[in-house]
Amino acid sequence: MSSILTYIAISDGKIKRSSLEVLSRSKALADANGLTCEAVIIAPKATSFIDGVQKYGASKIYTITDSIFDQHRNAPLLSALSKVIGTSKPRVVAFASTEGTKDILGALSANQNAGVVADVSSFDLTSNGVKAKRPVMAAKVVGNVEVTGDVILISVRSGSYDLIESPINAEVVSVDFSSNEGDLKAKLREIISATGDTIDLNEAEVIVAAGRGVKDDEARSLISELARVLNAGIGASRALTEAGIYDPSLQIGQTGKVVSPQLYIAIGISGAIQHVAGMANSKVIVAINKDPDAPIFEVADYGIVGDLYKVLPPFIEELKKIKS
Amino acid sequence: MKFYVCIKMVPDVYAPFQIKDGVLIMDADRMVLNAYDASAVEEALVLTEKHGGEVEVVCIGPAKASETIRKALAMGADKGTHISISGDEAFDSGSYARILSAFFKKKEYDVLSLGKQSQDTDSGLTGSMVAALLNLPYATNAVGLEVEGATLIVKRQGDTGQEMIELPTPCAVTCSNDMNEPRIPNLKGIMASKRKPIDVVELSSLGLSDDELSSNSKVISFEHKPARKAGQKFEGDAEEVAHKVAQLLDTEANVL
Amino acid sequence: MEDKFDCIVIGGGVAGLSAAMTLARKNMKFLLIERGEFAGAKNVSGGVLWGSDLAKLVPNYWEDEDGGWERFINQRRLTFMDEKSTFSLDFKSKHFNETPYSGVVVLRSKFDNWLSSKLQEAIDASDYAMDSFIATNIKVDEVLMENDKAVGIKTGEDEFHADSVIIAEGVNNLLTRQVGLQDKYVPADHMLTGIKEIIRFDQNVLEDRFQLNGLSGMSNEFVGWATDGVEGGGFLYTNRDTISLGLVLGIKDLRDKKKSPHDLLNHFKTHPTVADAIRGGEIVEYSAHVVSSGDSRAMPKELYKDGILIVGEAANLLMNAGKAIQGMDYAMRSGILAAETIVKAKAKNDFTSSTLKEYRTAMDESYIMKDIKNFQDAVHLLHTDTMQNKVPNLVCDFGRQFFTIKNEPTPKSEKMLLGAIKKYSSIWELLKLGFKARKSL
Repeated sequence: MSSILTYIAISDGKIKRSSLEVLSRSKALADANGLTCEAVIIAPKATSFIDGVQKYGASKIYTITDSIFDQHRNAPLLSALSKVIGTSKPRVVAFASTEGTKDILGALSANQNAGVVADVSSFDLTSNGVKAKRPVMAAKVVGNVEVTGDVILISVRSGSYDLIESPINAEVVSVDFSSNEGDLKAKLREIISATGDTIDLNEAEVIVAAGRGVKDDEARSLISELARVLNAGIGASRALTEAGIYDPSLQIGQTGKVVSPQLYIAIGISGAIQHVAGMANSKVIVAINKDPDAPIFEVADYGIVGDLYKVLPPFIEELKKIKS
Repeated sequence: MKFYVCIKMVPDVYAPFQIKDGVLIMDADRMVLNAYDASAVEEALVLTEKHGGEVEVVCIGPAKASETIRKALAMGADKGTHISISGDEAFDSGSYARILSAFFKKKEYDVLSLGKQSQDTDSGLTGSMVAALLNLPYATNAVGLEVEGATLIVKRQGDTGQEMIELPTPCAVTCSNDMNEPRIPNLKGIMASKRKPIDVVELSSLGLSDDELSSNSKVISFEHKPARKAGQKFEGDAEEVAHKVAQLLDTEANVL
Repeated sequence: MEDKFDCIVIGGGVAGLSAAMTLARKNMKFLLIERGEFAGAKNVSGGVLWGSDLAKLVPNYWEDEDGGWERFINQRRLTFMDEKSTFSLDFKSKHFNETPYSGVVVLRSKFDNWLSSKLQEAIDASDYAMDSFIATNIKVDEVLMENDKAVGIKTGEDEFHADSVIIAEGVNNLLTRQVGLQDKYVPADHMLTGIKEIIRFDQNVLEDRFQLNGLSGMSNEFVGWATDGVEGGGFLYTNRDTISLGLVLGIKDLRDKKKSPHDLLNHFKTHPTVADAIRGGEIVEYSAHVVSSGDSRAMPKELYKDGILIVGEAANLLMNAGKAIQGMDYAMRSGILAAETIVKAKAKNDFTSSTLKEYRTAMDESYIMKDIKNFQDAVHLLHTDTMQNKVPNLVCDFGRQFFTIKNEPTPKSEKMLLGAIKKYSSIWELLKLGFKARKSL
């Protein structure tokens, strides 16, 4: 029987939520089309994530375990995936659209001679492939795409689908694979993880984002305090990351991270299209800006026209009260 | 080092457009050099200015694409190749990648560079496809490049932070526009570009079969982005408004 | 030293492009420099290109329906406005359907870009196909002068030399001032701000609403309530599937009356007649530009110097005497005449004033200078408070009375007219106006 295979990304010792969103969708499609829902975990401790994955309906889970996967490297990941695809022979291989996925998706489709469509906001099966919607033209327009082929690779924007639990006892298939760093042509010298112990924006339930209005240390410390109270990740608009005020890995937008938290609080952000493209999938958007005409108010569920120095302190106080 | 930069001519995605019956119509015919490719060209120029070498560009496009090639030459690239197509073919990333790899099979280079995605599709697939087809070590989403001897050092923006990757040459890299500010050609550059050669290569001469050229993905139609439901806007006394919204987030939106 | 050009044309607007086309066709070696990303990027007009020079530059341009023009004008409307009414003079005629058209509506970013592609074709067909070219995204910082003669231009650190320079830099004529042909500061009452919106409709709706047939179009100018007491007027032109709607406003008057162009445009759009005309449309573009008032006192001291010719709006060549706003056609003709003079200069190998003054002569003999001279009084007349405020009010008031039919005895028209006149003006004032108008129009 044919299958939909979902790639489960592991980061910082945890399953990335976006992978589980895709798995939820794959499960729903598999059930609706009489296919099996399968998953693949490729990580140093792959088997420790079985429980987390079968909770969302994968009836068969392929695992590859090797220390080479402690960090992202495209060559071994490609080989490992190729091996699993060769074993599983799925109709569709689905990924969450992360930087790691973007690094390999094209190459994998070339190696597998598979159809591919990237960065979709929704997808469905057709009789001979997949149809999907994806943002184009600086995310102002939605394109309807159809891909045909025996195997289709697809990557899905985070926040496109909800998590749907569907617990099952999965069959676990351990696939033999080993890779030696010495054999790799490309060498990973080091990773500069500036974010350190801060919350990963891709996984965060709440994000507080700073824009140009956040001009000085006082404003920045208000942002940090708000993030602390809400246990939120801190993101920034491109203006601030370019100015070096926040690290580039915190940039949210069309060319930065695309996030989909439950709550997004935009502070001093005007709402340029490129930024909105990175956060429009957030469930609830709050905006604080002193310009009543700022475009951010067009996407905000709750917009506050006001000076952030005056609005944030009482906002933080009230939130502290509510949370306690 | 010899850099080969693949560039694409794209519509100006910030220009006004309409969608009529699912068809995207640009108001004006303005085509520009893909911004990500411009960064790739810029970085190649910076590195060859620093370490010596050559920068060539190659562009698959209809007749008008020669203007895009001229722009790269005006920036400082030494030579251009125009792989000529009609423009009506509806190629997808895969078709472009197969054309490029057929072209590069017979070429010598150290670095094959591309923008990480093109502004018209934002697919971001072609670069790694070409690398795979040519069996080149590669890295994507480069935010910095450096040359050390015969190795290209790539600073890649990954999910967990910035990865420093050593690529032996020949290799491939795709570039983020966060890497640099592409130079605006000055008058001397524009004048010089007129005298730089552009080779025109007919697509048929690359020997690809119809199958290899055909796309398996197709854009059927376009539609406007669904609008977000209108929200509530609050003005007035800061303290009042702040308290009110905090309460609503709890009771109405249920996100606390 | 690198090769020298016969001529460097500064500015890729209508004047610059027309000059360059003429130079190309006469096999001159030239450089056209435009500071915008592409020709037209920095230009805004209402606007209508009148006259037949376009047909000379691009023969049979009307056959290319995808060319740079929107519609040909076969309907002209001049409208007086008060708060609730409009009283218009409307002329529509099949006479204007024949090619070459007497006027076409254009959108500058499209038109200039198109004209620039025609220029490239002319260059490619010329003897200097490899040496003449169009450079965009380049700003000329300075005209290089030696012994008060132009020898080239400077942009950034680079210098480029030429036997002559045609300054087609537009209304903010900084280089014209640099070479000493214009004072450093121009009186604010010689300048206007043009502001406009492009409003989109479904093409069928547009053609229905404005009763257009095929590519026919309408031009409508407004005076009175439109500008809320500020010197200037309004305009509406029909494009393919959009309309250009806007105002031109006296800069000094705006400042004195403390009004903002943006607010005034919104005010104009609320007038019932205008609101009816634009209902259901979607604003797709918003633009503004400084424009000359057409007052000849604002013209440069002279249009030529050793090695220099000034064309287009850099020379303040524009006229609005009430009937039409003529700027682009002046730009086109002056560009052509300047280029022809350069060709003569090259033949004689003399680029000094003694040859270049033939440009001035050609201009004086052309309809441009003749009209500007003859209609200066009309230009001044148009900018008086009488014409701007009083006449529109009294005309509309008269119209309201005249066209009201009640179940009461109807007063005689003369009585109505006198009533309206007395309310807003006086017989004497109108007589004076009529007298002046008779002479100046």
